[in-house]
Amino acid sequence: MKISLTVNGRKKEFDIDPMKRLLDVIRDDFGLTGTKESCGEGECGACSVLMDGKPVTSCIVNAVHADGKTIETSEYLAELPLGKLLVDCFDETNAVQCGFCFPGFLVAAYYYLHNDGEPNLEKIKFALSGNICRCTGYIKIFEAVMVACQRKKAGEL
Amino acid sequence: MRFFKPSSLPELFLTMENFEGEKYFLAGGTDLNIQKKKNLLQDRPVFYINHLTELKGIRELHEDILIGSLTSFREILDSQLLNRKLPFLQNSLAYFASPLLQTMATVGGNIANASPTADILPLLLVLDARVKLLSKSKFRELPISEFYLGYKQTILKSNEIIGGIIIPKTAETGFQTYYRKVGSRKALTIAKLAFAGLKKTEQNNIKIVKIAVGALNEFPRRLRKLEELITGKYTEDLKSDELRKILESEITPITDLRSDSDYRFEVTLNLLLEFLEE
Ligand SMILES: Cc1cc2nc3c(=O)[nH]c(=O)nc-3n(C[C@H](O)[C@H](O)[C@H](O)COP(=O)(O)OP(=O)(O)OC[C@H]3O[C@@H](n4cnc5c(N)ncnc54)[C@H](O)[C@@H]3O)c2cc1C
Repeated sequence: MKISLTVNGRKKEFDIDPMKRLLDVIRDDFGLTGTKESCGEGECGACSVLMDGKPVTSCIVNAVHADGKTIETSEYLAELPLGKLLVDCFDETNAVQCGFCFPGFLVAAYYYLHNDGEPNLEKIKFALSGNICRCTGYIKIFEAVMVACQRKKAGEL
Repeated sequence: MRFFKPSSLPELFLTMENFEGEKYFLAGGTDLNIQKKKNLLQDRPVFYINHLTELKGIRELHEDILIGSLTSFREILDSQLLNRKLPFLQNSLAYFASPLLQTMATVGGNIANASPTADILPLLLVLDARVKLLSKSKFRELPISEFYLGYKQTILKSNEIIGGIIIPKTAETGFQTYYRKVGSRKALTIAKLAFAGLKKTEQNNIKIVKIAVGALNEFPRRLRKLEELITGKYTEDLKSDELRKILESEITPITDLRSDSDYRFEVTLNLLLEFLEE
């Protein structure tokens, strides 16, 4: 089936299996390997991307769902002002351990920072509740996002 | 795999006519893709429906609220209309899956997938929702309590889809509301059990009561015998033993990897008592 989608500003059209996972389209057809696969069942959030601005787990989204849509991956978000702020804060709080879950956390955190951004721990926890870190680094991750929210609120961005 | 992407609802039904028997409808795909990964998908045609705008969105009708089957849980949680008219439904779904899943998962998929644990069901049951089923040039409407026939079995015919759900605008008005989803963690968890209750009391006399549970039977259901026992009683006259006996006859909790049946039963009883005393 003919499917066209825009990933990180690049539009492509393919003749592909409509049930192909968006994750595989991003990694194989667009060559963007920042988006990771871990559980493959929507539980861990490592494969999170934004689709038309909304966060999804790309391992259980199909190519047909993405037809005509705009996808933003962690590579792209990390270069935007709010993404840069987040990366800095993750850095400062040492929130990244092995790093495998980080792209997914970045996407979920970006969505929260961009759309709400209130420096409220309960809200931050909920916003990140679809992402799992197996190095058990949650406290530092929450801290990182909290600091980013505070800086955004303080008008740094 | 036979895969179709109809351009409209009429075209969907036209294409469906060429196929007898069971079909898959790809809505948000959050259940179907898991089955696909586990190689559990059977050789059935797949019809993509998630783009059919006719079945999306939340609308105010004369006396009801209509929620299209392809409405996502994010749209439910963001809806101003639900915030005004059905806040209990909206707030109770806040912990549906995770924010990431809420983008894709649809109401129709939650109902059609027919899991005993589906979060939206106990809520729809106490709100006396009706479900609208569409086929080629027909539709029928029935109480959501008549939709399930057995474990993972529904009344849906192979030429039908779920069009939407209809909830009376006043379904929550004047009721005290209660909802608990019990899982092993707060977010991103499958219910060990779920309990939804509405009640109207006058000076401690329970005038109207509606109770529905999930994950405690082959499919979510209203507990009518319990409702009957409670209606018209004073809260202080309700004996825990009596409630226990009726509850025993109405739910059949199982033991599985999430919990055992004794735990499920005792927690349900405790929630029932909390709901009645609140
Ligand atoms: C990580 C994870 C967490 C989850 N957490 C929860 C949770 O907390 N609570 C919960 O209740 N569920 C949960 N689920 C299950 C799932 O997300 C929901 O059941 C969801 O609502 C399914 O909707 P969908 O649009 O994705 O369905 P799909 O996967 O697209 O379809 C599911 C089934 O319904 C049928 N179908 C879909 N739409 C229609 C229609 N309009 N008419 C007729 N048949 C139709 C399809 O043929 C298919 O058999 C979770 C799933 C995952 C992967």
